[in-house]
Amino acid sequence: MKKLSKLLLAISFVVSITSSAFAVVAVSWGGAYTASQKLGYGDPTAAKLGIPIDWVDYSGGLSEITAQKEAGAITWDIIDVYAMDTINGCDEGLFVEFDFDKDFGPAPDGTPASEDFFAPMPSACAVGNILYSWNYAYNHDTIGSKQPKTIKDFFDTKKFPGKRGIYGSALTNLELAMQADGVNVGKGNGLVYRKLLADGGIDRAINRMKELCEDPNGGCVFWSAGAKPPELLVSGEVVMATGWNGRFFNAEMDGAPLTQVWDGQGLDYQYMVVVKGGPNEADAMKAIREMMSTEGLAGSAKHIAYAPFRKSSLEVIAAGEPWYKDGKTNMLPQMPSAKGNTKKYFLVDPLFWADNSTEINEKWEAMKAGLK
Amino acid sequence: MEIENKILTTDGVSLEESLKKAEKKNKIKAFLLVAPLLLFLLITYIFPIGEMFTRSIDDKMITNMLPKTFKAMEKWDGQELPPEEVFASFLSDYKILVKNKTQGKLGQRLNKEKNGFNSILKKLKRKMKKFDEGNYKDQIISVHKRFADVEYWRAMKRTAPPYTATKYLKAVDLYSDENGKIAQVEESRRIYKKLWIRTLEVALFVTIFTFLMGYPIAHLLATIPMKYSNLLMICVLLPFWTSLLVRTASWMILLQQQGVVNDFFVMIGLVADNNRPEMMYNKVGTYVAMSQILLPFMVLPLYSVMKTISPSLMRAGKSLGGTPFVSFWKIYFPLTISGIGAGSLLVFILAVGYYITPELVGGASGKLISNQIAYHMKQTLDWSFASAMGLMLLCGVLSIYWIYNKLVGIDNIKLG
Repeated sequence: MKKLSKLLLAISFVVSITSSAFAVVAVSWGGAYTASQKLGYGDPTAAKLGIPIDWVDYSGGLSEITAQKEAGAITWDIIDVYAMDTINGCDEGLFVEFDFDKDFGPAPDGTPASEDFFAPMPSACAVGNILYSWNYAYNHDTIGSKQPKTIKDFFDTKKFPGKRGIYGSALTNLELAMQADGVNVGKGNGLVYRKLLADGGIDRAINRMKELCEDPNGGCVFWSAGAKPPELLVSGEVVMATGWNGRFFNAEMDGAPLTQVWDGQGLDYQYMVVVKGGPNEADAMKAIREMMSTEGLAGSAKHIAYAPFRKSSLEVIAAGEPWYKDGKTNMLPQMPSAKGNTKKYFLVDPLFWADNSTEINEKWEAMKAGLK
Repeated sequence: MEIENKILTTDGVSLEESLKKAEKKNKIKAFLLVAPLLLFLLITYIFPIGEMFTRSIDDKMITNMLPKTFKAMEKWDGQELPPEEVFASFLSDYKILVKNKTQGKLGQRLNKEKNGFNSILKKLKRKMKKFDEGNYKDQIISVHKRFADVEYWRAMKRTAPPYTATKYLKAVDLYSDENGKIAQVEESRRIYKKLWIRTLEVALFVTIFTFLMGYPIAHLLATIPMKYSNLLMICVLLPFWTSLLVRTASWMILLQQQGVVNDFFVMIGLVADNNRPEMMYNKVGTYVAMSQILLPFMVLPLYSVMKTISPSLMRAGKSLGGTPFVSFWKIYFPLTISGIGAGSLLVFILAVGYYITPELVGGASGKLISNQIAYHMKQTLDWSFASAMGLMLLCGVLSIYWIYNKLVGIDNIKLG
C-alpha cells in the first residue's frame, strides 16, 4: 500500500512537471474554435518540435494576463486576442514585439511573411491568425415561410417577431445598428465609423439597439461565449442571433438547422500574441512560428470555416478542396472572405475601438442596465 | 501604612504583583495560540482591504510620468488652451517616456480619462522626431486637431493629483469638473445609482422570500418526530451540498422560454404557445434562483433556534386560554426573533454581494452591482474603480450590521 502511494505520488509529480513546467500554454476562446487550433496546428507543431502545447480556455480581455503579471506569476505563453487587445496589451508592455520577417517563416514560394499576410498588423506584438465574420443566423425550421435576407431584417420585428441573440459587449453591435439605421457600409468603406464618430453617432447606434431590445415584439438575449448563439437558436430561445460564422458552420455540420446571413457582416481579424516573460518564452516563439506557417494556418481551416491569414494558405486549401475534415465539403465558399459572402460588409476598425471603448462601454452598459 | 496593607506571598513579593506576572504569562500563551489566526486574518483580510483602498485612490503613476507638465499647468486656469510652456514641458516629459518605452501606459491611462487620447499620442510619437526647436504649441497642434481641443488638456490636468476620490464619485454617477465642482454625469451614462438601488431591492426581497418560505419549513423540521425530520433535513441540505453552478443551470433549464415549466404550462393550456411568459434572463430569474439557493441559510439558523423552544410553552399558552394564533404570536414568535435576525442578516449580506447567479440568469435587467465590479475587473481593467465599488459594498454591509446591532443587538443573534 505504501509503495503504491509512493508510486502514485511519483507519477503525479512527473505528470505535473511534464504538463505544466515544459509545455507551452496557449490560451484561446474554447469550443469548436480551440478544437480547430489544437487539431489544425497545435498538435502537429507539438509533434514536430517536441514541445508539448497545452490549450486553455478564456473569454477574452486582458484581465487575467494583467493579473498574472502584477502577481509576478505568469502562466500563459501564447494568447489568441482581439485586434484592440493587441494594441492595448502592446502599449502596456505585456507582449513580445515581433521582428516580423525574422520571427515568421516565408511562404513556400519564398514570399516573406510580411507580404504573405493579408493585412498589416494593428500593433508590433500581433501576428494574424484568421479572418472571421460577425454575421447572423436563424433557425430555418422555425422561422416560418418568410426568410431574413438582409441586415435590416435582423432589426425588423414586424416581419420577424421574436427575441434576438446579441453579443454582450458593444463591439460590432454599434456597426450593425448603424446599418439598420440606414448607413450603407458598401464593401468595407469605413463610412460606418465616420458616422459613429460624428456628433451623437454613438448615441444614435446605442438607441437603435435599445429600441430593438425594448420592442415588445423583439427583445434581446445577450451572449458572451461563442458556443451560445447556435445553442440559443436551436433551443428556440431566439429567432435570430449574431455570432461568429465558424461556430454557426460547425453547428450546421453537426446537423443544426441553421442558415447564415452574410449581408452587412463585420469582417474581423483575430491575432495571436506571445506573452513577454512567459514561462516558456523561447519555446513559445518557436511554436508560434510553426503554428502560423502556411501549412499550420491551412490546417486549422480543415476544422472550422475561418479564413487563414496567409494568402499562401488559401492556395493550399484551393488546391486541396474538398478541404473540410469530412472530405466532402468545400471550405472556400464557407469562408467569410468568399465572393458570395462579401457583397456588403464592414471591416472592424480596431483603432476606433481601442480609442473609444471607454466612452462606448459606459454608455452601452448604462443602456443594458436600464432595459425594461 | 500602605505597605502593611499589602498581602505578601511566601517569597516576599506582593500578591498583586505575582498575580500580574502569572497573568502576563497566560496572556502571552493565549496570544501565541491565536497568533496564527491573527496572522492569517492580517494577510488574507486586513492587508488586501488596505491594498484595495490604496488602489482605489492611488493615481500616482501619471503624476510621476508628467512632473514638468503638471508643474507648468499649475498656473493655467483651464479656460483657454494652455500656454506654450505647458506644451513644451509636456513634450519633454513625453520624450523621456518614449525613451523608457513607458509611453504606452500613459496613453492607456489618459485614454480612460478622455477617449481618443491614446491614438493622438501615438501620432505625436511618430511625428515629433521631425519637430523643430521652439513654438511647440503649434507643432503639436499640427499633429492632430484634437490637441487644439481644450477638453483634452483639461482631462490631463484632472489626473494631476497623486490621490483622488474620482472613483468613489463615479460609483454614484458623479464627477468633479475642471473647477472642482461636483456634478452629475450626463444622463446616457448614469448607471451605478440605479444598480445600487436594484442590488438593495433584490437583496431585501430575497430575504423576505426566504423568510416566508423558510419559517414554516424550519417550524416543521423542529416539531415533527425525529425520523421524519431527518428526512426533511436532508431535503433541505441536499441542494445546499450541490454545486451552485449546477443549481443555477437547472433553473435555466426549468424556467427558460422553451423550458420545462413553460412546456408544461403550454401542455395544460395555461398559456398560448406563442405567448410564453419570460421567467429567465431577467429579474424574475434572479429572484427565483437566488431565493432557492439562499434558502438553507435562512432555514438552518431558524431551525436551531426553534429546536430549543420547549413545546410545553405553547401548550401552556393554550391552556391559559390563548387561541393558537395568539399563543404563537405572543410566545413562539418572539422566541424565534434571534434566529430570524441571524438568518435575515446572513441571507441579506450574501445576497448583496451575489455575483454568479445574477450573471447567469439575470439577463440585462437582473444584473447587480457585483456584476459591474466583475465587469470592471475583467473587461475594462479599471481595477481602481472596481476596488472603490468593492469597498463601498463592504461599508454598506458593515453599516447594515451596525444598524442591526443598534436595533436588535448583535448578541441576540443565534446560529445554533
